[in-house]
Amino acid sequence: MAYYTLRNGPVGRVLAGDRGATRRKVAVSPWLRPLGGGAVALVLPLSLLALWTLSAAFEWLPPQILPAPADVEHGLVEMWRSGDLAKHTAISLLRVVYGFSIGAIVGLALGVAMGLSRTVEDYTRPLFTAFAQVPTLGWIPLLMLLVGIGEGLKILVIAKAAFVPMTMNSFAGIRSVPPAYGEVAALYRFNRWQLLRQVMLPGAIPPIFTGVRYGLTHAWMALVAVELLASSEGLGYLLVWGRQMFWLDAVMIAMVLIGIVGFGLDKVMAIIERRLQRWRFADGARGGRA
Amino acid sequence: MAQQGHLEIRNVAKQFQVAGALLPVLDNVNVSVAAGEFVTIVGASGCGKSTLLRLVAGLDRDYGGTIDYDGDGIDGPSLDRGLVFQEPRLFPWLSVAQNVALGLLNADMDTAAKRRSVAEHIDLVGLSGFENAFPHQLSGGMAQRAAIARGLVNRPGLLLLDEPFGALDALTRARLQAELQRIWSHERITMVLVTHDVDEAVYLGDRVVVMAPRPGRIAETFEVGLAHPRDRSDAVLLRTRNAVLAALEATTGPDGPWSSKPQTRPAAISIPPQQAAA
Repeated sequence: MAYYTLRNGPVGRVLAGDRGATRRKVAVSPWLRPLGGGAVALVLPLSLLALWTLSAAFEWLPPQILPAPADVEHGLVEMWRSGDLAKHTAISLLRVVYGFSIGAIVGLALGVAMGLSRTVEDYTRPLFTAFAQVPTLGWIPLLMLLVGIGEGLKILVIAKAAFVPMTMNSFAGIRSVPPAYGEVAALYRFNRWQLLRQVMLPGAIPPIFTGVRYGLTHAWMALVAVELLASSEGLGYLLVWGRQMFWLDAVMIAMVLIGIVGFGLDKVMAIIERRLQRWRFADGARGGRA
Repeated sequence: MAQQGHLEIRNVAKQFQVAGALLPVLDNVNVSVAAGEFVTIVGASGCGKSTLLRLVAGLDRDYGGTIDYDGDGIDGPSLDRGLVFQEPRLFPWLSVAQNVALGLLNADMDTAAKRRSVAEHIDLVGLSGFENAFPHQLSGGMAQRAAIARGLVNRPGLLLLDEPFGALDALTRARLQAELQRIWSHERITMVLVTHDVDEAVYLGDRVVVMAPRPGRIAETFEVGLAHPRDRSDAVLLRTRNAVLAALEATTGPDGPWSSKPQTRPAAISIPPQQAAA
């Protein structure tokens, strides 16, 4: 039933490059192996932490500028107990979720429409390109005059930051779907909705998710920027406040938290992407697809 | 669906716009295919044989002349005319069964009938047990089997095959040719297969149409006149093969791609049994 073919033999597999790379094993040095594959990811952060501890112990930098890890930890525990930290984090997270969702949905819609229709592309692409060139921060003065400095401003700025990479990657994703797939759709008389649902969107998933993850990163950057300028709450505000009060431990706490929350959101997106592309991770991947 | 499948191609001409100039790719092509007949079209690459197939499939509607299928002109693709491409063109994100089922997306059948048809055709091409495999888990031959199942799942009256085995190794190709012959006998539908492989054309076709290139036109037609299934070493088959080869060489001149081809098939590749079971 299953026929052996030369191209799928061991030699063919080596020549074609092992597709198993999608589920490659993390290279682990022998002395870390007992800790498992995830351990290597901790090598750099732990080294940095060690360097920081040493630097604080020997006072290579004045403690006002670089507080000791223990001080930061102390501050962290205190701020956590008082509930301030949770409040700031929740506010920032909510802003990112709202702004990112709006920007990503609008960006996906525009990118897909531009990818599917040359007419839409001709009408919108030049304006979009010019729009994308203006840095997110450049929009803030104008938006402040239009919507004030309330929540609306923050959400709009974050939405804009997510919108640009989302549009570009969705557009590129739709265009990267091989025309040969479109012919299969034509052959079986797919209507526009079937073409989009069965062929274009699944085919464009990898670039679309590149857009999602870039969009999320940009959303966080925009959040911090807009909270630095116009906010009295949130992790960005915590950064400014800490700097102004010269409480560098608060600054470090805010930085670490932004990093951790951003890392977490990226992981969530990676899990969604993996679920949508389960076929890539199916077992028994052989050589090239003929 | 109606088990008809009579194809009538008359005075078909087709031009491509290349760098501002009109390049004729098909000129005065006339082919008549009776219902249930297996016709193979063989020709040098660039003779327009694939283009002709695309016109019949309805993927390209810009041509001169008439193409009638069961007495009606062709206006775009139809579920009653299947097409199998040279590469399987399976969607990598769908399993074998889902890919085959996609052929039925717009078929006028209830869900249960669709499911039955998908299972039947997967079985017909010998892929039972691989329903849930993804295309990248299949060998080239298995992927092409799945593509044939998708082409047949609507029970079309006519199946067009565009060099379907061209990318496969010799052994797999020979096996799939035999399988296709069996499927054709089983389904009793019209098949038109385009190839550049003379052995394949003669082994499979009731009639072999030889096309000449630049512009693509019919050079000669051969009746094979042998019942199916066929024996590859049959003397009549070999004689027809040599005649087709000579006609093909005449279309391309002595330096054509066929002039130096050996007269016998290469010896079968021997395979260690444990790998053959892969």
